[in-house]
Amino acid sequence: MKVKFILNGKPVELDVDPRETLIDTLRLRLKVKSVKRGCERGECGSCTVLINGNPVVSCILLTIQINGAEITTVEGLVGDILLEKLAKNFIDNGAIQCGFCTPGILLTAYAGIKQGKIKKSEDVKEYVNNLCRCTGYVKIIEAIAKTANEVWGHER
Amino acid sequence: MSVEFMFIGKRTPRKDAEAKVTGMLKYTYDLEVPGMLIGRIVRSPYAFADIRRIDVSEAVKMGAIVVTPSDIPQKPYNPRLVSINEVTFKDTYILTYKPRYLGEPVAAVAASSEELAQKAAECVKIEFEKIYKPILDPLEAIKPESPRIHEKIMKGDKWIEVENNIAARLDYDEGDVNRGFEEADVIVERTFKTGKRYHMQLEPKAVLVVLEPGGKLTIYTTTQTIHNTRILISQLFDIPESRINVIRVPIGGSFGSSIQTNYLVPIAVALALKAKKPVKIAYTREEDILDHSNFVFHFKIKIGAKKNGVFTAAEFINILDVGAHQVQPYPLLGTSLGWFISMYKWKNIRYRGIAVYTNKVPGCALRGYGAPEVQWAVETLVDEIAEELGIDPIDLRLKNYVGKGELFWGQGPTVKSIIKSDGVPELLLKGKEIIRWSERGHPSEKKGRFRRGIGVGRGFHTSGAGGPISGEVIDYTGCILKLNEDGTLDYITALQDHGGGTLDAHVKIIAEELGIPPELVNIATASTETTPYDVCTHASRGTYVGGECARRAAQIVKQKILEAAIRIIGRVVNPEALRIGYDKELKQAVVYVEGTDIKLTLAEIARTSWQRNWGTIGAFVSYRATSAPPSFTVYYVEVEVDTWTGKVKPIRVVAGVDVGTPINPDMVEGQLHGGFVMAWGMAFTENTAYDPLTGEIMGRGLITDYKIPTAADVPTPEEFTVIIAKTYEPTGPFGAKGLGEAAMNPAVAAILNAVYNAIGIRFYELPVTPDKIIEALKEKGELEW
Repeated sequence: MKVKFILNGKPVELDVDPRETLIDTLRLRLKVKSVKRGCERGECGSCTVLINGNPVVSCILLTIQINGAEITTVEGLVGDILLEKLAKNFIDNGAIQCGFCTPGILLTAYAGIKQGKIKKSEDVKEYVNNLCRCTGYVKIIEAIAKTANEVWGHER
Repeated sequence: MSVEFMFIGKRTPRKDAEAKVTGMLKYTYDLEVPGMLIGRIVRSPYAFADIRRIDVSEAVKMGAIVVTPSDIPQKPYNPRLVSINEVTFKDTYILTYKPRYLGEPVAAVAASSEELAQKAAECVKIEFEKIYKPILDPLEAIKPESPRIHEKIMKGDKWIEVENNIAARLDYDEGDVNRGFEEADVIVERTFKTGKRYHMQLEPKAVLVVLEPGGKLTIYTTTQTIHNTRILISQLFDIPESRINVIRVPIGGSFGSSIQTNYLVPIAVALALKAKKPVKIAYTREEDILDHSNFVFHFKIKIGAKKNGVFTAAEFINILDVGAHQVQPYPLLGTSLGWFISMYKWKNIRYRGIAVYTNKVPGCALRGYGAPEVQWAVETLVDEIAEELGIDPIDLRLKNYVGKGELFWGQGPTVKSIIKSDGVPELLLKGKEIIRWSERGHPSEKKGRFRRGIGVGRGFHTSGAGGPISGEVIDYTGCILKLNEDGTLDYITALQDHGGGTLDAHVKIIAEELGIPPELVNIATASTETTPYDVCTHASRGTYVGGECARRAAQIVKQKILEAAIRIIGRVVNPEALRIGYDKELKQAVVYVEGTDIKLTLAEIARTSWQRNWGTIGAFVSYRATSAPPSFTVYYVEVEVDTWTGKVKPIRVVAGVDVGTPINPDMVEGQLHGGFVMAWGMAFTENTAYDPLTGEIMGRGLITDYKIPTAADVPTPEEFTVIIAKTYEPTGPFGAKGLGEAAMNPAVAAILNAVYNAIGIRFYELPVTPDKIIEALKEKGELEW
């Protein structure tokens, strides 16, 4: 089946099997490896991508479902001010350990902050439900809340 | 002891951070090579059976490469090579005609795509000779009438009979236990049972095997030990080690799940050898759950104490459910005892430990190697004794704990050291103030739907498994450090970074020793053929053992740099007169003589050594630590129990740790946060339950049914306090000790002691799910419905 979408700002046109999941299209065909396969059940969030700006798990989505959409991964946000702020706060705050969940969490946080859904640490706890097994989330929550604060100003 | 450091103790970003935030870092599953086949494993649908025949004709017709047990050397092995051969029990086969757990690999296929491989795997027909009822309870398994899961296994190089499904045993006696109990004023005896937890490391296991021209094998895999992986593959396939190269690949978490070589590695090797093509296998999450999970611990512990709070005797019966195969549970019988004996001065001890086979997924180490379980049980009992005796639980701990100057058993009876650094009193007393211990109140005073409680848990973990005497555990490491021609350095080690920043810690240690900025030190890519042997990045030894090895290498390199500098300067006679440091004006490392204008940049020295043919300045060090010191941890936790729903919420956490000198405080905090949250999962949710009839993991291994904590389950950052004791470990690099496991070990105890303080109920079986809490409240008559 023919499918068209925008990946990280560039138009993509593919002929895919209707059963193909978006994660497979991205990883196997388009070699976008920041999208990690953690569970294939939509549970862990490692494969999160932005679809028209919203965080979506790409492992339980068929590629044909995203026809016409705009897909963004961390590769596409190099140079983006908000992502760089987030990344810097993750690094400075020690919020990265094994790094497997990091791209997915960055994207979820990016969307949450951009859409004004994350303004303080309580919002992070509600909005970011990606799994991380190393950090205990504490430094991740701090790094995201700090970025949100830089963007939206201090709110408690 | 307080020492001023240049880099150690400072917060510094990790070297791999940029590659991680940009998603550019390649994990094993991300690797691809041209012409690579994808492998899939055919697994037994029964937990205990005999296979008559495996029909692969359909799969072969599809063009798949197929291997069955008949294609593979039928040599029993143990996938974990940390203990010495004489005490390594071997009962596993790469593929088997006698599956002993549901999901055990019986055949494997490889094809050009995952889809084709999956189709081929589904075409493999298994004809069963006999299907047995699975034995899932170790107490059932040890009955003489129970069928034997294994009949003969190998211990070292000898075949031994397995009786009553007992895989291994260890007994220990010290003093006169019977008399000790006679002298006791109070005796408390309890039985405990843990869940069968799954590591749930974010990256499922994967492997890529590449056949190089000339037949050499290159292996990329999710492992904590590249060297033991190479040794195992060499032994299994009779290939010389020099013809196998295992590459270190970044790993997406591990927590002990790859101390052993994961089962897919030898399977992929067998497929690649048969296909004569590269083969990659990556588990799905459901397969990963069938590859590894923790042991189940059944404890019976009895402790006696006098009125004055002195212990008189302890008896510890430990029945380990090891699952269908041994991933070295024998040393776990030793460490369980070691953790127990090193907690408190029991005076008289009786220990009976058996490891028992059941038809479950083979159990393996999971962060703490029995310590979280033992410390949960012991810290529960100590609280109970304190209450019976009317002594403050903190005072009772301070009175009896094994501390400075005393013998610490670390990793079992053959790994003993004298404790030289001890932050326990500082942590217990400081934490008590911060959590406001005195205001915690008694459970009987607490009423209403939401009830809060405060609990404490004290424990430790070793730093490695070294020691003055060579015991049953292998523990040594090695590294190479060389000065490059421009004054930068390459650091070469086989140790792995699971995410905790181990190798970054080494870089800081090297930088500190040399007095140069960490940016000058490169962490080199590593493989078995380019690194000296290291046993494994496990046992919280990365910083303590690996870091000290790196420091020693830096010390040698420093000496050689100074000697080269003397040669260049010409006038200085004694290397001790020279200093190395970072020159802020020149923005580089320099060698100088204090009080003079003599100054040489490191780059000049390196360049001169190169240009004048003086040779490479470098060091090769192989190192075994002479001690395995404890890193102590004290957790104070406040929880809130919702007595209507049985749900528990963390309110405040005070995590105190004695790691000696913290190399990077950010990473120390990160370990404690992660350790606490993993303990929270262990306490309340994590267990892979088995269907009693089929022996299948309930929920078919889907992680939708295996809940680990999310961000919503953790305390807010402001309510998570970390305290780092001011201690200095004389045997560690710049005073440092290990942390990864200590960070978690006593947290479960603190959490459940807090639950007791909230609702007055103790739980002896993990996980403490909401229904258990509701049931217990009902029994206590606290709920009206």
